[in-house]
Amino acid sequence: MTSASDLSSIARRLLQRTMEAYRGSPETQRWLRGELDRIDAPLQVAIAGKVKAGKSTLLNAMVGEMVAATDAAECTTLVTWYQYGNVPRLTLYPKLGAPRQLPASRRDGRLIIDLGATPAADVERLVVDWPSRQLKATTLIDTPGIGSLTTENSERSAAFLLLEDEPTAADAVVYLMRHLHATDFEFLEAFSEYGAASASGLNAIAVLSRADEIGGGRLDALMSARRVAARYRSDPRLVGLCQDVVPVAGLLAQAGRSLRQDEFQAFSTLAGAPRDDTEAMLLSVGRFLHSGPREDALLSLGRRRVLLDRFGLFGVRLATTLVRQGSISPDLLAAELVRRSGLDELRSSLASRFTERRDLLKARSALLTVDFVLRREPSPQGRSLLAEVERILAGSHEFAEMRLLAAIRSSAVTFPDAYRAEAERLLGANGTVPGRRLGLVDDTDPGTLRAVALEALERWRRLSENPVFPRAFADAARTVVRSCEGILHALPGR
Amino acid sequence: MPSDTASEHAVATGTQSAASGGQFAVAEAASPAIQTVELTLRASTAYQRPDLAVRARQALQRLHNPRVRVLVVGEFKQGKSMLVNALVNAPICPIDDDISTSVPTVVRYAHHPSATLVRGAWGGGDGDEQEERYQVPIEQLASHVSEADNPGNHAGLKYAEAGIPRDILADGLELVDTPGVGGLGSVQGSATMAMLPSADAILLVSDAAAEYSRPELEFLRQAKLVCPNVACVLTKIDLYPRWQWIAELDRRHLRTAGIDAELLAASSMLRLHASRARDNALNAESGFPALVTFLRERVLGQSERMANRAAANDVVTITAQLASGMRAELAACEDPERAAQLVAELEQARQRADGLRDRGSRWAQALNDGIADLNVDVDYDLRDRMRVIVREAEKALDGADPKKIWDQFAAQLEEQAAAAVAANFLWATKRARWLAAQVGDLFEEDGAQALPRLRTARAAAPEVIAEIERPDGEKFGVGQQAFVGLRGGYMGTLMAGMASTFMGLSLLNPFSAAAGLLMGGKMVRDESRRLLDRRRMEAKNTVRRYVDDVSFQVGKQSRDMLRYVQRDLRDHFMARSDELVCSAQESLIAAERALQAGEAERQQRIADLYAELERIAALEHEGQALALAAE
Repeated sequence: MTSASDLSSIARRLLQRTMEAYRGSPETQRWLRGELDRIDAPLQVAIAGKVKAGKSTLLNAMVGEMVAATDAAECTTLVTWYQYGNVPRLTLYPKLGAPRQLPASRRDGRLIIDLGATPAADVERLVVDWPSRQLKATTLIDTPGIGSLTTENSERSAAFLLLEDEPTAADAVVYLMRHLHATDFEFLEAFSEYGAASASGLNAIAVLSRADEIGGGRLDALMSARRVAARYRSDPRLVGLCQDVVPVAGLLAQAGRSLRQDEFQAFSTLAGAPRDDTEAMLLSVGRFLHSGPREDALLSLGRRRVLLDRFGLFGVRLATTLVRQGSISPDLLAAELVRRSGLDELRSSLASRFTERRDLLKARSALLTVDFVLRREPSPQGRSLLAEVERILAGSHEFAEMRLLAAIRSSAVTFPDAYRAEAERLLGANGTVPGRRLGLVDDTDPGTLRAVALEALERWRRLSENPVFPRAFADAARTVVRSCEGILHALPGR
Repeated sequence: MPSDTASEHAVATGTQSAASGGQFAVAEAASPAIQTVELTLRASTAYQRPDLAVRARQALQRLHNPRVRVLVVGEFKQGKSMLVNALVNAPICPIDDDISTSVPTVVRYAHHPSATLVRGAWGGGDGDEQEERYQVPIEQLASHVSEADNPGNHAGLKYAEAGIPRDILADGLELVDTPGVGGLGSVQGSATMAMLPSADAILLVSDAAAEYSRPELEFLRQAKLVCPNVACVLTKIDLYPRWQWIAELDRRHLRTAGIDAELLAASSMLRLHASRARDNALNAESGFPALVTFLRERVLGQSERMANRAAANDVVTITAQLASGMRAELAACEDPERAAQLVAELEQARQRADGLRDRGSRWAQALNDGIADLNVDVDYDLRDRMRVIVREAEKALDGADPKKIWDQFAAQLEEQAAAAVAANFLWATKRARWLAAQVGDLFEEDGAQALPRLRTARAAAPEVIAEIERPDGEKFGVGQQAFVGLRGGYMGTLMAGMASTFMGLSLLNPFSAAAGLLMGGKMVRDESRRLLDRRRMEAKNTVRRYVDDVSFQVGKQSRDMLRYVQRDLRDHFMARSDELVCSAQESLIAAERALQAGEAERQQRIADLYAELERIAALEHEGQALALAAE
């Protein structure tokens, strides 16, 4: 079995061989070198979704700082990369010409982006270097909304994410949606299906965004959101298109991660007022912002507006309630807000589904690029390189796992219900570390892991050899057997 | 022949009702339109014109039972059902954080709360659609029309009706809560499009979370083409701090797109809260007062004006026909020397009126030819759209293994077929309306010739009050111009009469053929052991069968719709022709009778006739005033 690092070196070798084949074409060479660098670079995850799905807010929440501009109106108009850097730096890559630095200034903790004289239409992308720990493992890419009234913005997104004839720069996508829409399906299908290695949703996580606004922002909104997400997760139409559906209240997470002392004070004031008064005030944004003059004594209207912008009506309601119930320190309140926002669930889903599968996703991107280059510019060595691509796709167990998972999810291979969940787990659907594959808690001791893995191996070997089952199932069972062998191989102290 | 006493009774103040008009006793606060039509009905009865009385009675019926349909449409989870509930202040439509409405629900007035489910059933060999209706307790309605208990509308309901005693609905307002549109291209989106022509007004609901998306604006543009009365409602303004900014952006988008529609901001949550707490200030904040005013003044008001204009048109044409016999008798009495010529002219008028009943008359020909053309065009349009779909589907199947792509492929095919059907249906409806207007114009031109224009010594005409002050202070001459204003009213009558034709069909469900697609998918998958080519063949056959089924059902529905349109238009204009023939006949008889009378008797008749004509003219004038008021 090829181990994960092997897959990276296989992809690297393939890229190098392709570069040699294209020595005469500097353009292609430069491009392939970029891909080569990409193999070792952090995973590139695009944040996509319809207009106003809350992409920039979620990005800020994930980075932990206000790096992306957010507004009530549509405001992300450019594809913007956020990558790790020791010092904040802003680079503009025009469609033509050399990249240039832009001044990186901040106002009220927000990053201000000023394109200067360059029209948005001439910009290929912006790259923001930011010293955030969160960006070390993953580069996040903010994209303009799909379905925008400003057609150019949507086209910029489509051009970046769904290239008709060119692999995308995103290794994976976090797709935000408020409700599941026909256009959402279309996007996820298009992103998943590209090219030779159909990923069948292995490279996508769907986020039910703005979860705090469900049910009119009632206090139990996030419970409702969990219910909705659970339903979507089991929606057969989505199963083959994304790995997980996670509800996230981005605004709550963003505000929670940057809660200030004065904000905590404001919530304490609200929580300290008679309950009926606070409830009447928090009935609607109109009430909260324009209650009578007497109310100004409690909390100035200006500060209320800031609170509302930062937390949303739901956030203000929730924070006030939490303080009243005894979240006595700002730290506790901040942690509780973030906990409830669903951001942690999203992070752990990203870790188990993307980060752990990083080498596979990277290798897939590299293979797609080579495949594309070979088809666009046929060369003498092309035939043997194409065969190599096919061989890697067919021969690597990681790709075999990916294909089988996709096949199970799209019901192309029918599994008896009794075996289906276990097979998916062993194939790495819930995470690729041995514990996850075996369905055991994270700190299980190696002895137990080994015993459970051996048991699974034995069971699946018997299944693969049982003549009662159809051939397709036997083939699938053999792939699962190889996964079990891989688990044993990866365990320490052999 | 009308005696003095009869006419006295008929056109008098309404203290005594004519025999057949008794059932329509003038209510205490009856509108001027109802009062005028009541008088017209009595006059028609008194002058023994049962045909005109029928027409007056129909007009009265429409005035008494107005029906104003407001479609509440939008993407799902924008708060449509809650808006309807908040408007009527009752939990009629299902509200859920997750589950959506799956069946259109019509909410209208009833003395006692009631709920009815309507299922469309394909019965008989000719593919005619029949409706099955059954009552359910109103508390259970929500469960029948929501995705939770009726997912994807598997129960096959066409729509549901709820009746509740609410003031806001008392004037005939009907609110229709529609299933959310999951994107304009979706099957549900197409079904909603197909419902648009039945609406008097459309409320597009979107929440204040985001400005308009492209599909929403596109939907508005389409809606505006079929229904001029469109308003946008921005909901959930209690939750979004920047809703005013979103409203401003939306208004800008509307302006840029050239869509003339008002945008109203509202919060159903605040409205429901306000009515529970009986808090007027909160109700004002909810934005509902403005929405209710909009519904009352713009929607109901406009419908009422249309209805009044139609009624005014009936009054004016009925009185003109009532007067024509008297004018003929008067002309004969005043100038016996010209009697022979007069009789000849009247005879000609009668022949012209008779000609209107001919199959060869211009309107009848235009109608028959127009419907025949429409049948061909609509059919061609549908086939053309379907052919494109089949061609593209086959291309897609050639490039892939049908087994692998079937589910997505079938869903897409269904969407495309639904969109094609909706487009075809909208187009057919528009063309049918245009044809009705054409036929109406032709009939008006020829019908005008059929009423003899007779000069009398004095005009017993509305010169008495030749000018009416319009609300805006502008003077407006009564006469020709008033009739110009009536033309729209004429089509209004026509459409009001035919509304049921359009309405019943526009709630059609052209998508029942989808079952075939599911079956086909099963077959394609069962082919798994055979060759790819076989699978493709099977898949293509399934596509063709499906498209055939859709074309067949939709084609039948289109033909039925056109047949109803043709029948209704024919019956309508035939009845008008009969009236004209009857009027011409009356004129002729009256003139001949006048010639046989002695001199003294003639002088007496002249005096009587002037008196009666004056009364008729007063009624006609009331009708014109009504038309002007309804401008």
